[in-house]
Amino acid sequence: MSLFIIVLLPFLGALLPGLMIRAGRQVCYTTTMLVTGAAAIGLATHAPAILRGETVTAKLDWLPGLGLNANLFLDPLGFMFAALILGIGLLIVAYARYYLSREDNMGEFYVYLLLFQGAMVGIVLSDNILLLLIFWELTSLSSFLLIGYWKHLPEGRQGARMALAVTGMGGLALIGGMLLLGQIAGSYDLTVILERRGQIQDSPLYLPALLLILLGCFTKSAQFPFHFWLPHAMAAPTPVSAYLHSATMVKAGLFLMARLWPVLSGTPEWTALVAGAGLLTMVLGALIAIFKHDLKALLAFSTVSHLGLITFLLGTGTAFGAMAAVFHILNHASFKAALFMSAGIVDHEAHTRDMRRLGGLRKLMPITFSIALLAGLSMAGIPLLNGFLSKEMMLEEATHTTLFGSPMLVTVAATVGALFSAAYSFRLIAHTYFGPERDDYPSHPHDPGAGMWLPPGLLIIPVVVIGLFPALAEPFVKLVTGAVIGNAAELPDAHLKIWHGLVPALWMSVIAVIGGALLLMAFRPLSKAWEAAPRPEAKAIFDDVIAGSVALSRGLTQRLHDGAFTRYAAIMVVTVVAIGAHAWFTGTAGLPTREMLPMTPIAVVAWAMLIAAAAFLVAAHRNRLAVLILMGIIGLMVSVGFNHFSAPDLALTQISVEVVTIILLLLALNFLPNRTPAESGAPRRIRDGVIALSGGAAAAGLIYTILMSDFPLGTISDYHLANSYKGGGGDNVVNVILVDFRGFDTFGEIIVLGIAALVIYALTETLLSSKVRARLLNRGYETEQAGDAHPLMMVVLTRVMMPVVLMVGVYIFLRGHNEPGGGFVAGLVVAIAVVMQYMASGFAWAARRQRYPYHGIIGAGVLVAGLTGIGSWFAGVPFLTSAFGYFRIPPMQEFELATAMGFDLGVFLAVVGAVMLSLESFSRLARRQDTEDSEYAMDIDPSRGAELVPGRAKEEN
Amino acid sequence: MFSLDLQTVLPEVILSVYAMAALMAGVYTTKDKSAGLLIWATAAMFGLVAFLIATREGVDPAFGDSFVDDGFGRFAKVTILISAAVVLVMSQEYLARRNLLRFEYPVLVALAVVGMMVMVSARDLMVLYMGIELQSLAMYVIAALRRDSVKSTEAGLKYFVLGALSSGLMLYGASLVYGFAGTTAFDGILLATAGETPLGVIFGLVFLLAGFAFKVSAAPFHMWTPDVYEGAPTPVTAFMATAPKVAAIALFARVVFDGFGGVVGDWQQIVAFLSVVSVFWGGVAAIGQTDIKRLMAYSSIAHMGFALMGLASGTAFGVQAMLIYMAIYVTMNIGTFAFILSMERDGRPVTDIRALNMYSRYAPMRALAMLVLLFSLAGVPPMVGFFGKLYVLRAAYEGGLTWLAILGVIASVIGAYYYLRIVYFMYFGEEKESLDTGTSPLLWGVLMASAAVMVFGVVNLFGIEPLAAAAAATLVD
Repeated sequence: MSLFIIVLLPFLGALLPGLMIRAGRQVCYTTTMLVTGAAAIGLATHAPAILRGETVTAKLDWLPGLGLNANLFLDPLGFMFAALILGIGLLIVAYARYYLSREDNMGEFYVYLLLFQGAMVGIVLSDNILLLLIFWELTSLSSFLLIGYWKHLPEGRQGARMALAVTGMGGLALIGGMLLLGQIAGSYDLTVILERRGQIQDSPLYLPALLLILLGCFTKSAQFPFHFWLPHAMAAPTPVSAYLHSATMVKAGLFLMARLWPVLSGTPEWTALVAGAGLLTMVLGALIAIFKHDLKALLAFSTVSHLGLITFLLGTGTAFGAMAAVFHILNHASFKAALFMSAGIVDHEAHTRDMRRLGGLRKLMPITFSIALLAGLSMAGIPLLNGFLSKEMMLEEATHTTLFGSPMLVTVAATVGALFSAAYSFRLIAHTYFGPERDDYPSHPHDPGAGMWLPPGLLIIPVVVIGLFPALAEPFVKLVTGAVIGNAAELPDAHLKIWHGLVPALWMSVIAVIGGALLLMAFRPLSKAWEAAPRPEAKAIFDDVIAGSVALSRGLTQRLHDGAFTRYAAIMVVTVVAIGAHAWFTGTAGLPTREMLPMTPIAVVAWAMLIAAAAFLVAAHRNRLAVLILMGIIGLMVSVGFNHFSAPDLALTQISVEVVTIILLLLALNFLPNRTPAESGAPRRIRDGVIALSGGAAAAGLIYTILMSDFPLGTISDYHLANSYKGGGGDNVVNVILVDFRGFDTFGEIIVLGIAALVIYALTETLLSSKVRARLLNRGYETEQAGDAHPLMMVVLTRVMMPVVLMVGVYIFLRGHNEPGGGFVAGLVVAIAVVMQYMASGFAWAARRQRYPYHGIIGAGVLVAGLTGIGSWFAGVPFLTSAFGYFRIPPMQEFELATAMGFDLGVFLAVVGAVMLSLESFSRLARRQDTEDSEYAMDIDPSRGAELVPGRAKEEN
Repeated sequence: MFSLDLQTVLPEVILSVYAMAALMAGVYTTKDKSAGLLIWATAAMFGLVAFLIATREGVDPAFGDSFVDDGFGRFAKVTILISAAVVLVMSQEYLARRNLLRFEYPVLVALAVVGMMVMVSARDLMVLYMGIELQSLAMYVIAALRRDSVKSTEAGLKYFVLGALSSGLMLYGASLVYGFAGTTAFDGILLATAGETPLGVIFGLVFLLAGFAFKVSAAPFHMWTPDVYEGAPTPVTAFMATAPKVAAIALFARVVFDGFGGVVGDWQQIVAFLSVVSVFWGGVAAIGQTDIKRLMAYSSIAHMGFALMGLASGTAFGVQAMLIYMAIYVTMNIGTFAFILSMERDGRPVTDIRALNMYSRYAPMRALAMLVLLFSLAGVPPMVGFFGKLYVLRAAYEGGLTWLAILGVIASVIGAYYYLRIVYFMYFGEEKESLDTGTSPLLWGVLMASAAVMVFGVVNLFGIEPLAAAAAATLVD
């Protein structure tokens, strides 16, 4: 049968139990048995080839771009594991049939079990390590579902959480390790990787790869310091514990270590990590197991201990160690699964697993007792049972192993581990089955039906047969060992036999068994001491670690993400400055290639003023009026600067914009308190100051460098200077840029300007139609009001100035094309003229004399500009291409007309409209309840005699 | 010539015209009453345009090579359009029930999508900026769609101000680059940086990348993300977490390869830095979150870090990895948000993850789908999310950034914790008040479909691998 079918069978078959459960439990069970059985038979068909020493492969491309293929291969190592998985799987399926009660959803259980089975088979048959990873994580997922199967048990929840967190993260670490391994070896195919021992061990990435892979293996196989999750996962139903946590899943880590043994082992790092962790786990697990009262908890820790034993054997890095490991994997799977199932039977019959409430079951449950006795003695390492043989080999290996520079360390630790192991094995048997019969079992126990005791019973056969005739297993063990060690070492010249002579291992074994028995006799006082002794509780540590990391994360997040905008901005600025500084110091800045311009006294003074105003602004920023004044100064200095660098046009524009902005801001200030309240303390301000200074320094340095070096490709100014008159018909380059070169930009800008004004208007409307209206109308005065709001002098002056200013506007507009000026500036100038009227005579008076709505003016501006642009289409040139010509209308002199002027007119109108509309909006907000619209231009008008504004008159009387 | 140019930008033109027409129609006719219809119409439009784009072939530059229609752009555009369409359709019911269904919403989404399409096709810094701003401005508005909520408006404002700051940085960078390269066209920049790179260009690059990092919300420019994700209405969050991310990262790739392909070493450092900080900070910060939307914000930061990891490799394979990663990421996120949208108790939205206690008991199918999605987000095999991570990690490694790949693995281990925590709550939490079990068939369908993709995509990733490879090849010569 193709390997693909063997792997896929459980997955495809997983669909069946879920469906078949409707047809009854027996059908469901039979289907599952058939599926597992078929896969097992498929595997068996390859047995002859494997035993001949051949390797079966099956190839399939998957995602070639990723180096991912679905190649499978079956060698003796894979065969042993696959046989264990499917063989024990069959027994577990049968056992679960009788173990699960009527209320349990058997279909769901078998679905998960088959998924898990498929994933396990996939792991051991994968040739591609990425494929292996996928199956690896699938086991995590399906085991998670299996552990969680009994959701109603509260301890199941904690167990599942730990299992999920530990193995899930270990799996992800393994991904990293496997990727590195694949990269070092240049292939993701195991068959290739296993040939590259030298290449891999010489690589500088060997250590990171090893660490990550071992992290995956140790978490999966519950090695120290990740041993804590396994016992807690035991809250799952017993068939799950027996299958996952003794026979298969936890062995996946061992399998991987064995699989990669040829390329990873033998280095000091490997030995220290793997053998060290294994030894520690073995002793620690065994010690804890002795004092567990729950049958399954005891078995769980004993499993941890035995996994440590196997890990230790693999870690020694010798061929003999590998052989012992292989043998023990086989032996452990058989006796431990049997023990688990017998524990399940006890639980099922007596309704308790607590050894303090058990005892004396020997006569009540003779069959179960025999099974548990044989398996338990095998676990204790009693001769003539299989556990003894592999434990002997382990002890033998221990005597030859030096760890951390001390040869005795390993020998002593191994002996102690074996001693503890014997102790808990004895305790398991003695406290459950021996002793007086009790009459207070929660349920009266008796042997169950054959369906339940037969599976463990079958497992006892190899325990005894191999124990008696180890030579039977030797060829197979050697075959598998050969597969494990590959070309890395010679097959050891050792034989499996019961009697090796009076070797040290035998004495150690004797010490262990006797010591174990003695320990059991002194169990009561020891147990009391154990209970009283302080010891770290893994679960509590795990919870603390989790809580600690959550607290750490919260702390960090709250410090950095406190919702304050300033902090976010600060982080961004600091990062940019830091990266920039990095570029600065690592890059080649180059020396200045230009001369400094001469420093004229005026320039220095202006520069000093600019700096001083900016600095003062920061210092005095809480006083809003002062800020406005300082902003005015800065704006002014900037305009002077433009002028200084021969850009009068920019200077003119800047000044007009400054004036209009300041007026609008002044109006807006009306609605704000005079001072900004302080919200930050001194340290915060100092910190922000440092950040701001560093940002400023960075910008200054950058500008200095750029200004002092030549641009590789001339400046764009030359192009504009050369083409301004030729292409746009204007001498004023800035204006030509605005209306011609960048006409499209300007067109967009006036639209934006118009929209901005409309938005201000819309906001005002919204405000005035909401609850705020009443508050606005009724607000009090902060300062005393002038009696004469619209003074005569002001009114007269503005009236006189109006036509003058308008004329200036027209002048600026017309000369704009060749001299400083243009539609934008003209618009601002005219707007200022109109604003003055509003200021002099009040909003209502001025508004009544304003015949065209400002929206319309904005719209007209945009329209005019747009039409001018479209006009060029009729001349067959692109949008906004300007044309110009010279005309002469007597009696005037010859003058130039350019289409750009039409565009400029649009700009002009839009600017006027936008400024005025914003102003109008502010004015509407400014009105109060107690002021009435004046129908006169000024409050005190000599032509009206002493007549006063009625509202005002009343107040004054 | 002009008509050929128009032909190239036809998809963008169609969508823009549609958006404007829809806006006018909305304003002058039924306003919000037809918003539901408009949502479906817009989604259909997206689908249509996606189809139009998918049928194109070859490389067509337009407007003096300032815009290009190539395989890379098409891959990104189709991803953007489809994800935007799905998210739009998903949002209708949620918005309607919370009285947030404005007709501007689909129009703004359409405009944002046009901006994204321009972003991924831009071959000139000016076109790029135009695309970015069109997208951003639309996004600022929809982020603050829930105007009567202080949280929502604050988030929108923060997003806007920080966005403006980043736009400023980007513009500053663009002008520096222009100053030294003498052109804003990517081709020209590539030529100008062929010899010794002037420091000014490097600074320009730094500023540009800082701006892009803000758009993809890579740490440490990510600060807006959690606040905006939490504050914005969930459908808007879902939108933000999908299409704009693809656009921004595609644009990122376009600029660094097309414009700065000559100075790979310089930007590689920055991108790798952003990547590392993002994966770690995203992972670490998410651990402490209890609000699922905030959690998804940090998750998106970490995911962007992984996508940037592919980019950092500086190879064609890296770009391919990045594209595949993004396609997978978007699919996962749509499913996850379909789930989040359906999280309700007594008809009110719930975003606390502790509300999912024992969810599997009363909604087993949805819990299972969410489990698949979360495992996929965590990058646990065999879910498709794993392949995305595998691609970028390999790309980083093969690009010579071994340290980045190793750090990426460690960060993914950290990051797995918070996804698994949700799974834990759903399957083993304590019995508490349960959520509403009903959900709209649409959300249910999207959730299931997304989860199914995560499982069945394992077979061949639905064939996007060769597509992404071809797309990457057009970008990296």
